Amino acid sequence: MRQSVPAHCYQHTFAVVIFPLKKLLSSGCRQCGRSPCRQRLKLCIYRAAKWRVFSSVETAQTASEAAAPSKKQATGGKAAKGTAQKGRGQKASTTSKEEDIRALRLDKAQELRSTGREPYAYRFARTHMAAELQRRFQDLAPGEMAGMQGEEVAVAGRVMARRVMGKLAFVRLEDDSGSVQLYVDRATLDAAQPGGFSELKALVDVGDIVGVHGGVKRTDKGELSVVASQLRVLTKSLRPLPDKWHGLEDIEKRYRQRYVDMIVTDGVRDALRARACMTSAARRLLEDRGFLEVETPVLEATAGGADARPFVTFHNALQQPFVLRIATELHLKRMVVGGFERVFEIGRVFRNEGTSSRHNPEFTSIELYQAYADYADMMALTEDLVRACALKVAGTLQLIYQGLPLDLEPPFRRASMHALVQEATGVDFEAFGDDVAAAAAAAADALRSAGAAPRAVAAAAGARSVGTALNACFEEVVEPRLQQPTFVLDHPAEISPLAKPHRSRPGLVERFELFVAGRELANAYSELTDPVEQRRRLEAQVAEYRAGVAEAAERSSLPAAGALPGGVHSGELQIAVRNSDEDAYEVVLDEDFLMALEYGMPPTGGMGLGLDRLAMLLTDAASIRDVIAFPLMKRL
Amino acid sequence: MAESNSAWVLPDKFTDDLLDEHGNKMSKSEYKKRAKAAATAKEREGKKAAQAAAAAAAPANAAAKGPVLEDEADDLDPNQYYERRMRGLQAARAAGKNPYPHKFHTTTLLPAYVATYAALQPGEQRNGETVAIAGRLASKRRMGKLVFYDIKADGEKVQAMAAADNSPLDEVGFVALHNSVKRGDIVGVEGFPGKSKKGELSIFPRTLVVLAPCLHMLPKRGIQNLESRYRQRYLDTIVNRHVRDIFVTRARIIRFIRSYFDERGFLEVETPMMNSIPGGATARPFVTYHNDLDMQLYMRVAPELYLKMLVVGGLDRVYEIGRQFRNEGIDLTHNPEFTSCEFYQAYADYHDLMTMTEEMVAQMVLQLRGSYRMAYHAHGLDAPPVQIDFTPPWRRISMVAGLEEALGAKLPADLETEDARVELDRLCVKRGVDCASPRTTARLLDKLVGELLESQCVNPTFICDHPRLMSPLAKQHRELLGMTERFELFVSCQEVCNAYTELNDPITQRERFAEQAKAKSAGDDEAMYVDEAYCTALEYGLPPTGGWGMGIDRMTMLLTDTINIKEVLLFPAMRPEVVRPPGESATAAEAAPAAVVPAEAAVAGPLANGCEAAQPFSQALPVSIRSLSHAPAPPAINISPKRRISACNTPVLRSPASQPPIPPPPPAAGPADDLLSAWRSSARSAEVLRAPLSQASQLAHRFSADRDAELKSQASSWEYGK
Repeated sequence: MRQSVPAHCYQHTFAVVIFPLKKLLSSGCRQCGRSPCRQRLKLCIYRAAKWRVFSSVETAQTASEAAAPSKKQATGGKAAKGTAQKGRGQKASTTSKEEDIRALRLDKAQELRSTGREPYAYRFARTHMAAELQRRFQDLAPGEMAGMQGEEVAVAGRVMARRVMGKLAFVRLEDDSGSVQLYVDRATLDAAQPGGFSELKALVDVGDIVGVHGGVKRTDKGELSVVASQLRVLTKSLRPLPDKWHGLEDIEKRYRQRYVDMIVTDGVRDALRARACMTSAARRLLEDRGFLEVETPVLEATAGGADARPFVTFHNALQQPFVLRIATELHLKRMVVGGFERVFEIGRVFRNEGTSSRHNPEFTSIELYQAYADYADMMALTEDLVRACALKVAGTLQLIYQGLPLDLEPPFRRASMHALVQEATGVDFEAFGDDVAAAAAAAADALRSAGAAPRAVAAAAGARSVGTALNACFEEVVEPRLQQPTFVLDHPAEISPLAKPHRSRPGLVERFELFVAGRELANAYSELTDPVEQRRRLEAQVAEYRAGVAEAAERSSLPAAGALPGGVHSGELQIAVRNSDEDAYEVVLDEDFLMALEYGMPPTGGMGLGLDRLAMLLTDAASIRDVIAFPLMKRL
Repeated sequence: MAESNSAWVLPDKFTDDLLDEHGNKMSKSEYKKRAKAAATAKEREGKKAAQAAAAAAAPANAAAKGPVLEDEADDLDPNQYYERRMRGLQAARAAGKNPYPHKFHTTTLLPAYVATYAALQPGEQRNGETVAIAGRLASKRRMGKLVFYDIKADGEKVQAMAAADNSPLDEVGFVALHNSVKRGDIVGVEGFPGKSKKGELSIFPRTLVVLAPCLHMLPKRGIQNLESRYRQRYLDTIVNRHVRDIFVTRARIIRFIRSYFDERGFLEVETPMMNSIPGGATARPFVTYHNDLDMQLYMRVAPELYLKMLVVGGLDRVYEIGRQFRNEGIDLTHNPEFTSCEFYQAYADYHDLMTMTEEMVAQMVLQLRGSYRMAYHAHGLDAPPVQIDFTPPWRRISMVAGLEEALGAKLPADLETEDARVELDRLCVKRGVDCASPRTTARLLDKLVGELLESQCVNPTFICDHPRLMSPLAKQHRELLGMTERFELFVSCQEVCNAYTELNDPITQRERFAEQAKAKSAGDDEAMYVDEAYCTALEYGLPPTGGWGMGIDRMTMLLTDTINIKEVLLFPAMRPEVVRPPGESATAAEAAPAAVVPAEAAVAGPLANGCEAAQPFSQALPVSIRSLSHAPAPPAINISPKRRISACNTPVLRSPASQPPIPPPPPAAGPADDLLSAWRSSARSAEVLRAPLSQASQLAHRFSADRDAELKSQASSWEYGK
């Protein structure tokens, strides 16, 4: 009896089923000590046993062990060799198991090659996608053959399951669009392709890419099938796919080997499709309204348009450091100055911040600018944009996000930041005027009574302006409550250096943020077009940043602040207290941008929206990683 | 109105400032215009005198006759102009006016206005209608009691004819308003449409509001200086109409490509621009650092591997249009960041892709240029244009066969031997084809192809079937031994596309990596640089796949008839303008005369190594990427817009044996990862980074570089996962 299976609960199906059932149940998992669910384990074994019937040799081997764990190991056969070796070495890890399978499949590839069939074909002329076939023949009755004899289709895809029963074999073939069954009967296949059936039996594994010609019929059981008259291995796969039933439960591995996740986990590809669909809907809406799509630089001399730590890089030929853009804002505004009255960019933005379920260091934003518009126009446009994307992707405006029903039907609720904070905390920050101390104290009190983290309370108590005190309360208390789509309006000027002063409320700016499900989705302003005022604000921002850095250096014992809220297009000014061992990055004035403003920028409304977050919302994804094909992972 | 471009600057002052930054009190705007003013400075004196006289006369008139409409004050020194406008701004603010209104309701966009009222008769006015338009004032003219403006927006122009009769203001107010409005201001106009007696489409303003004053004097006759055009692109697009069209065309090209793929069931995806590949082999990719994860990251040089992983994952048809980054010099066809389109189609091969390329590009040309045939000024606007005919099908040249025909001689059957290399060397000498050493097979072949084949490719032509040693990611040719199924599309002798039947056999792929690793050097842990993660993905099975890449910038240059990549980039990378000493005041800094040097020169100057625009890199540089292909150097990978990642292990930095002309790498600059770790362990500031990397960059430069973007490729290793 082998005992040293590095099983981590039932996450590695094969390892678990090899492991003696009773032993595992009594001792628990070797790694975490948890006792696996008996029911689940039994299912594993049941499934493994089922696979024995139709799966390739190595799986059958596993299954036979699983079904009779106490029995002596099977001997003979190619697969047994590897297992026996493992037995000797007391190491039956899944890795070496995979190596055995790989060796076996390499042999098969060689065998194909030796009989003149290239296991890595050059091309295949497919006539139909699986879903196309399903659609086209949906009316075909069970037991019926489609069309005239001799009408053939050609399909190609990955073998996801195979079952051989004497002179019949059933293969489930999956392609980009969906799946279709292959009905392979020996006589038909061998007639056109002598030896084809035994080749299928011996040399085709689950995971291989095959191309098939044949007629279409619906089996008596009602399964639409391609009756294979020719079947070719187009690409021999060397690695076994993880158990479809479990998918890849190792979350890390899911993101690291995304392609495997895409093959075996339902919904992964759909999320990427939905995302593409959404982006395309947004693009179409804007193009229809006369917006021009442009591309502005990623490599910049100074990072502007938001407050975030940029990535720094270095251009060897120019002998100059560059930063990666943290927003597309300032360049797009230059375009508006240059006479492009409606521009947008859908592009990658980079922020050197922590990763989380809502943050990836690179993400995609859409930013748009419309001359002669203001933030009220932007609100309407944002509503239209979200609406168009939701209808295209989800087909409805009534969504469920992580169990929470959301109604994206415009118009969204509009409420000023002050009103929301007052509603939540009872404190009217407008009453403080310029009394920073009183505002900070009130904010700290409010946060304390709301049960906020001590760090947040301390941050509020140390607020440098009434606006930051207000913002601290807003972020801690109000944000998480904003589940239904809400435009939060009229932020304090201190936290919005790129927005125009409010036309009627002094001290505030014309800005909104759209919150859905407690998260910031979009951020927009009536853009500040006054170069004098803009210079003053940016200089203040730089000064405050430097003061913050200096202060952080003094209080170096404080823990680092958490990731900054990664709002898109945000000019949030709060300065995180940074770890003293982190280098402060340079924040400098973008003189060139100020110069552009001096040439006159028309009154302009601008809006930025995080496409990743919108995609999360529309695909009901819990993590931003689910809507990014290859999220950034820590190095192993 | 005075022709006053000239009347601004003392040239001697200009040069003084170039030398000495202390004494300058000029605003930035002054400096900007100074470069231009220098040329016409000599006319200045006379004009200034005349204008001074006129100016002197004006106040006298004003005093005598009450409110008088003033002429444009273009004669002012830019500094004075700026200060005067700033004073006006402050005065407005002090008077409680908001010089930057929040909103102006336009009822129609300018192009729509033009379309709607183009049919009016000369002299016709529609008093009953009220329209509101907005735009920038391209000019201002005074005629008696009338003020004429040209309002420009969205590439259209409408005249505004302001008369006191139509205005609700009294005469004093009217005059004061229009005296405060200057050319360059953004204005909103509400009034009624009509045509002047001369038939010019106009708007007759009832009200005119300045929405954003232009504080600087706008250049009048367009900007010719390339440096300021690229640095102040907004000014360029205000003044130079055709520049705007370039970017509209660029957007249309991308839209066309996108819809072409969307219609064919391709999925647009976004793959990472930052990878954790240990790119120690070369300094070519941009290196950056993620603080939170404490890891080095590399900007992508091509999305190829990720896209193929998506095909492994079951997305049969994917494409990505996106930015790529290359840490290389800047010249006529290269910018550190550029846009490429790559697509991958499962079950297709390079024949299919050639057909698609013909179809797509020909349709695109037809749609954008109205004909398959177009003229292209390949040698500059002064030289006669070449005629390019995109009518499909296009010529296809199998590389070796084509060479043999052009040479009139057989090439060696097996190119991967030393004998073959010697034979090619001999052929090059015989044909007088230059090839800087090391004269490796791939390099020699490349030169021959460049000289004999590419030069034939004015009309779109596919050069196909590259030798295996030039293309380690392409699948071996099904018939021609030692060749691969690959093609490059050349138009006007420039590579536009690069594609192949993808190598999807993991074993062969590993062998090709291993060959390179072996050749790279004996000794250290080179095997690590094989992209294990990518090979693993291939082991899960990549269907037969055709992969294709196109340089969007290159295509845009062709279709907009430009030969400088900077023309098709909104904000091309430039040497940062001013390195401002900290503490220096902003205004003083603005005026600093830093980069009056034209861009190209500024870049090429310090980089002795071939950033010179027209010079083929390969000749200036002893080691180009193609040289890496012959033992003991590892095989080169040719890259194209499509795949700039390349040879895993660009050994140049590591194996001194393979590149005699390169000075032995300084100890610190050898393995770039050493540099990088040094960088990381140090303060990670740019300054620290600069020192060691500058050495690496010199090396990087040497093999950067063929004239064609495609060949420039290479970079970094394949491994990005572990």
